Amino acid sequence: MRTLIGAIGYRNLRDHSAAFEVLERLSRDDLGTSVLLEDVSYNPIALVQWLDEQPADARFERIILVSGVQRPGRDPGAVTRYQWSRALPSDELIQQAITEAVTGIISLDNTIVIAGYFGALPPWVTIIEIEPAQHEFGSELSPPVERAVESVTFLIRDLALQRETIQ
Amino acid sequence: MCFKNLPVEFDERGQPFLRGGIPNPYEASAAPANVPLQLSSDQVEELLRRNGHIKSVDFDPVTRVAGALAFHAVADFKERRVLEARSVATLFRGYEVIMVGRDPRDAIFITSRACGVCGGVHSTCSALAIEMAIDCVPPPLGVLIRNLALALEFLYDHPLHLHLLAGPDYSAAIVEPTNPTLFARAKKTEARHAEVHGYATIAALMQDLNPLSGKLYVEALHMTRLAREAYVLICGKYPHPQTIVPGGMSSTVTPTVLQEMFIRLSQFFDYSKKISCIWDDITDFFYEADPKYKDVGRRRANMVDSGIFDHPDAYDATYKNADAWGNRRWATPGAIVDGELRTTDLHTINMGIEEFVEHSYYEEWTGSGQRQRFDADPTGKPLSPYHPWNKITKPRPQGQSWKEKYTWDTAPRWDRLSMEAGCYSRLWSTAVARKLPESPFIEATGHSLKVRVPKGALPEMELEWHVPKVWNAFERNRARAHCVAFTTMVAMNNWLAAMDRLKNGDTRTSTPFEIPRTGEQRGVGFWGAGRGYLTHHLVLDRGAVANYQILTPSTWNASPTDRWGQPGPYEEAVMNTPLLEETDDPKEFRGIDVLRAIRSFDPCMPCTTHIHSDAGTVTREVNTCACGLDD
Repeated sequence: MRTLIGAIGYRNLRDHSAAFEVLERLSRDDLGTSVLLEDVSYNPIALVQWLDEQPADARFERIILVSGVQRPGRDPGAVTRYQWSRALPSDELIQQAITEAVTGIISLDNTIVIAGYFGALPPWVTIIEIEPAQHEFGSELSPPVERAVESVTFLIRDLALQRETIQ
Repeated sequence: MCFKNLPVEFDERGQPFLRGGIPNPYEASAAPANVPLQLSSDQVEELLRRNGHIKSVDFDPVTRVAGALAFHAVADFKERRVLEARSVATLFRGYEVIMVGRDPRDAIFITSRACGVCGGVHSTCSALAIEMAIDCVPPPLGVLIRNLALALEFLYDHPLHLHLLAGPDYSAAIVEPTNPTLFARAKKTEARHAEVHGYATIAALMQDLNPLSGKLYVEALHMTRLAREAYVLICGKYPHPQTIVPGGMSSTVTPTVLQEMFIRLSQFFDYSKKISCIWDDITDFFYEADPKYKDVGRRRANMVDSGIFDHPDAYDATYKNADAWGNRRWATPGAIVDGELRTTDLHTINMGIEEFVEHSYYEEWTGSGQRQRFDADPTGKPLSPYHPWNKITKPRPQGQSWKEKYTWDTAPRWDRLSMEAGCYSRLWSTAVARKLPESPFIEATGHSLKVRVPKGALPEMELEWHVPKVWNAFERNRARAHCVAFTTMVAMNNWLAAMDRLKNGDTRTSTPFEIPRTGEQRGVGFWGAGRGYLTHHLVLDRGAVANYQILTPSTWNASPTDRWGQPGPYEEAVMNTPLLEETDDPKEFRGIDVLRAIRSFDPCMPCTTHIHSDAGTVTREVNTCACGLDD
């Protein structure tokens, strides 16, 4: 079973770049040949095209996406994990997502909406969000997000090795 | 006389000089002659108060544009026209503030972040400005690769705009509900170029312009991929390439790489034929259905372009010779006023530029004892205190007021006129100036550009773009479509030249350089984005950036009303737009004609947010695309 672990975000944006630190830590582990670690921040449209062109016998059956995402009502460093519901917004919002994607916006939500709309995602998609505390340019993570990165790395490792399953 | 509003005259040798006998020559108080003016806020308020059929219409945000743009209009639903129009850039960019004090080489990477679509053009524009400041001349192959890279960026940008952003405005999904009579006519109207694009009727074409599901929408996504792949082959990555340097390119380019690039480029041969014919057919259909469509987005044909695609035998990176190398570019620089080409001289174009901030969230930088840094360019030609080399960026956020300040955009003007920028500006000046380098593919006739596109699945075709008699939303889109063919064949010229050089063993793509650590230097990158004109004005002081000013196409196009009451290009275009939408109910009004007018400019606004403390310093950054705005 091929698994893609994808990080989404901008680099050098402190806690908003937490996903890349997770990816970096996972890269030190031996997760086996069926697990691919990838920075998938290069544009949702390009991601769709890349997923589409995977050989039929080697398509990803599981995708784990991780990103630093700011949402209302969450504490800094909070980790939210959920399974993609396959629900899509209205056509108007999908259009808006594509407009943003082709003009340079990189975001978890856009990526999921666009990849979902074009049918590029497998049924099993787990999303892990880390609530940022710091919103500025720089490479250091804040203490709560540093702790979150630690736990998310463990969690994804277990998911990748199928030691843990999604409820 | 080149300038009609600036206090600059030319002697018998053609040398400009500042008109004498005026105490503050650039402090002209009279409005430029024969320019449209906005109604005053008081007049508009009075009209709104007295007439029930006059209403405010706000588009916030304007969708299907890059970044954050809002638009305020006051429309007379009885007369079906727009009385007031205000373009609002809602986010601040701030690269000029970020750049001060840095090593100039940082500009290549930092200003690239100004845009998620055209980061490469900002990188290159930075490199041009730096190499001018430090006297570093790229080798011919470096110049050719830059040209190829630029062309490939445009081959991403133009299809994206035409079929993802503006195209849906002409789709069945939009036309049928807003103009059912028009759509009924489209069903019965045969498309003239059906043999090229494959659509028998205009309605069939409109169906495939539908967002998300239309074949032309999906095809555009595919074509943008080809352009990006081709770009990455010669520049390493996109967005934000790391291979652009002062003095050329740091990438290694071989005949094999160029061949792989050509495989992608050649797929634009047929696409460019198709896209030109599609937009010719759409334009002709609307004009014939109702000639009032010629007024949608209409404005004076006032345009500015700094030219692009350097000739490797001409470009020497000096300001002194900018007129000479500028005029040998594959796209000729130009300032066009009321449809007449005033100049192709980059010195004169540069001399005529000023930026004003009366209606922008910035403080005035002249006056109050502020010394004008440069009263002349490096060749002694006079410069305004409002010129970018003299500008100081002083952001001052405050409440919005149509009377006072309402946008983060500044008001750049050339000869004090509101000018627009676009790929069509370069098409226009190239066609009229007839200075194009010799090419088997492109011919400038003085009134048109003929582009011979080689055989693909479709036969070889000669496409001809004519300088239009009226300048409006449809002509912007038509010209942009023809720019796909023009750009493809400019790339072909440069590809052939690059292959020749490689075959002859000339593989050098860059020239070593050092940043001087003493003295003051100036440079300017004269370049272009897919959306048109782009300049980076740079001042170095002891090896660090002392001033950095970026003027993008959307800085010109989205500019607010200026100190004289002259509207910016979006504003003027909307003020001339008739409301042809088939509804008398303001509640049902979708504003499609206004949106067509705005989107025809291909707006690219900032998505980078810089939040300011009360002291006006940048304290927080969020992220990315900011092609649109100055400051």
